[in-house]
Parts: sequence; C-alpha cells; structure tokens
Amino acid sequence: MRSDVRYVRPSSLGEAVGFLSDHGPETKPLAGGTDLLISIRSGELKARYVMDVNRIPELKGIAMTGEGLSIGAGTTIAEIASSETVKRLAPVLRKSCLSFGSPQVRNAATIGGNIANASPSADTFPPLIVHETIAVLSGPDGERRIPVEEAAAGPYKSNVGSRELIVRFILKPSEGRFFEFLKIGRRKTLAIARVSMAVLAEKDMRGAVGFIRFCLGSSTPVPCRIVEVEDFLTGKILNEAVVAEGGRLAAEKMIEISGRRSTTVYKEPAVKGLFNRLLYPMVKND
Amino acid sequence: MIEPLKTVPISFKVNGRPVSLEVGAGETALHAIRERLQLTGAKEGCGIGECGACTILVNAKAVNACLMLAAQMDGTSIRTVEGLAGGGSIHPLQKAFLDHHAVQCGFCTPGLLMSAAALLKEHPCPDRRTIADGLSGNLCRCTGYRQIFQAVEAVAQGEKEKTQ
Repeated sequence: MRSDVRYVRPSSLGEAVGFLSDHGPETKPLAGGTDLLISIRSGELKARYVMDVNRIPELKGIAMTGEGLSIGAGTTIAEIASSETVKRLAPVLRKSCLSFGSPQVRNAATIGGNIANASPSADTFPPLIVHETIAVLSGPDGERRIPVEEAAAGPYKSNVGSRELIVRFILKPSEGRFFEFLKIGRRKTLAIARVSMAVLAEKDMRGAVGFIRFCLGSSTPVPCRIVEVEDFLTGKILNEAVVAEGGRLAAEKMIEISGRRSTTVYKEPAVKGLFNRLLYPMVKND
Repeated sequence: MIEPLKTVPISFKVNGRPVSLEVGAGETALHAIRERLQLTGAKEGCGIGECGACTILVNAKAVNACLMLAAQMDGTSIRTVEGLAGGGSIHPLQKAFLDHHAVQCGFCTPGLLMSAAALLKEHPCPDRRTIADGLSGNLCRCTGYRQIFQAVEAVAQGEKEKTQ
C-alpha cells in the first residue's frame, strides 16, 4: 500500500479533463480498479495522483443514438451483460461480458478501463473490433475519435494520451446476425484468456458468406481484425474444409504478426481448433 | 473533490450504521474495514481479486474489497458478513452452511456467504449451474464446493416453499 499517492475525485468530465491537462502525465485514472489496485498494492504504480472517474455522469449509460450504439466508458461489465439494448444490438459484446473475470470483478470493472489498460487478452476488445467501434476521447484540445483497434499501441501500452480520457464507445449495431465470442483459459472463471475470438457474420441469399468481421485476441500484441480470413470466407459456402482453411489462415496470420514463440506450439493448433468451434454452427445450420 | 488529498474524509454506511473515517489515499477498502472498523470477517487471501475471501456488498453488489480504494466507499452502503445476522439469530445462509458442513477451515466462508447473499437476492431460486456461476469468484481450498452448493440450494429450496 502506498502512502505518498494523492486521491482526486472529479464530479464532471470538465473537471476531470481540466485536472488531466495540468497533471496528466503524473495521474492514473481509477475506474473499476480491478487492474489498478493490483499495481498500487505491488508498488508498481508510479503516478502521483489517482483520479477516481467513477462519479462522472458523462461516462455512464448505454443508448442507441443517431451515430450508433453508444456505451459510456464508465459502464460496468455487469451493466453491459444485463442490458437489453446490448443483448439486441451487440450480443457478441454481451457474451464476452458474461464470462469476464468473476461476478465480483464484473460488478466493478468498466469497459473503458478494459480498453485503456490495453491488455492483449482484454475480453471486450475483440467484440468491439468486430463492431467497428469508434472510441471517443476527451482531452485539453477537445474531442478526438479513433477506431478502437488503434486504442492499444502494444501490450499494456495505450494510445490514449495521458491528458485524455475515454468518454464512450460508438458501435455499429448488428441485429440478427450470427455472432460468437469464445476464449480458452486455464479455468472458466478469472482466467486470463490464452486465445480468444469474436465473429459477426451473415449469409447471403444463396447461403454463402455475405458479411463477416473476425477478430483474434490474446494471440497478438494487440487484438486485431484479420481481414485475410474475412476475404477468404466472403462469398464462400461454409463447409468443414472451408472453415478449416479459414482457421489455418488465422493461425498463419497470428505467427506472421507475433513471430514464432515458445507458446506457438500450443497456440497454433489452439487457434485452428477454436476457429472451427467458432464457425461450426454456420456449417451445421445448412 | 477536485483537490488532491493524501488523507480523504469519507462517510458511508456499514451494516446500516453510519460511519465517518479519514482514510489514506492509497488505502484499500478491505484495510479500512478490517483495521479501522475492526470488522475482520472479510479476509485478505490473495490480495489481487482472485480468491474472493474479501467479498463485501457495495450498494448490494458483491465486489472484492481488496480491489477497491477506501476512498471509493464514500457515500455508499456497505454490507459485510458481520451484518448478515440480525435480530438475535443467524442468517438462513449461515445456518445452512452449518447444517451442510460447508465450513472446514472457514477462511473462505465470509466471502462465500456474501457472494451467496448477493446471488440469492438476484436469483431467489437458482439452479445448480447458476449457483456455481454466482460463487465462481470465490475459491475454497479445503471444504470442497459440493457442501457449499448444497447449503445454498437448501436456502433457495426454503424460499421456494415459502412462496408456494
């Protein structure tokens, strides 16, 4: 426990951004605390100020707007998992939230914190990426919008500036499409994902893939959409051989991005296998 | 509170009783509850949110007190295992844990009781899977989960009979 840190709790976005514009580089925002408290405990946190962003109304809420499905950065994982709006318009995000951490962690952790922490295994990253989400940031120079896949620069390195705060996410809503989020962990609860995947897809009139968004998590320095897999599957009628080839492409791309590592012996077949499981329902339903 | 503070004055409710404290900026909620309020039911097992021994209810939701700053308790309503019993008798969950031998060393018990209380509030008649999911953030290393699940089921069964 650190005794030299200082606590500050703004009650509006204006106050928060004002504080960050003066002290951003020495400040760490505290949202759910499920990652930050661990670094406070271990003494790794070097920041002088901890800024509690849990009482900022502008960071809360889930609503369908003219721009898309808006989810406040301060929304907890449990709130997202129980939202009827999310269930209808972004069920793949809901699925990732239902298996996130543990019940206690879901009640505290926020989606903004999950993205800002920039873990390669962050569970909400792949679903947000397949929804082509825009992250809305607020800083001293006003609002900045970036595609969510650009929010992470590398493992635990965020592209959100030290004087900026994530305010909300805008998802392209997706109703009625095939969706799936799967992860492999050492156990069901509280395990850091070793491999995770999200997909949104739709068949066209003749039963071929007309639309697909695919994202791989926990296997590359930053979770990433794999366009090669999407392009390969688009226009094809899915059978076991086509899905197996898609899985092989996904694994190949992972190795290209991450390089061959000691974990590749495990991850290469794991990515292929999980990919089969991910898309098999689309084969079976024919 | 836009002024950064090293010591933070907070007011909140613990088990229905209003309290005011001065806490350190980097102090955890668990530390304040155990060391300042002397409510030692919640335990520090792992200290990193994996074992659930520190589970408390904050505004009726189960959270890990080790992953929360004491300053965040300001204005909230906290319930610890000490607040489960009331009116001179133990809580039905506590009785069921005794009846079903769901306690061995007892270290995980306060956290499990709080997770179970939160679960039953949301799902008064949960099936075995819902119970397992609801208690999945709590580790027990000696009793075994079967007796714990049976105890929670017994309370849920009692609730069901009451409403029938």
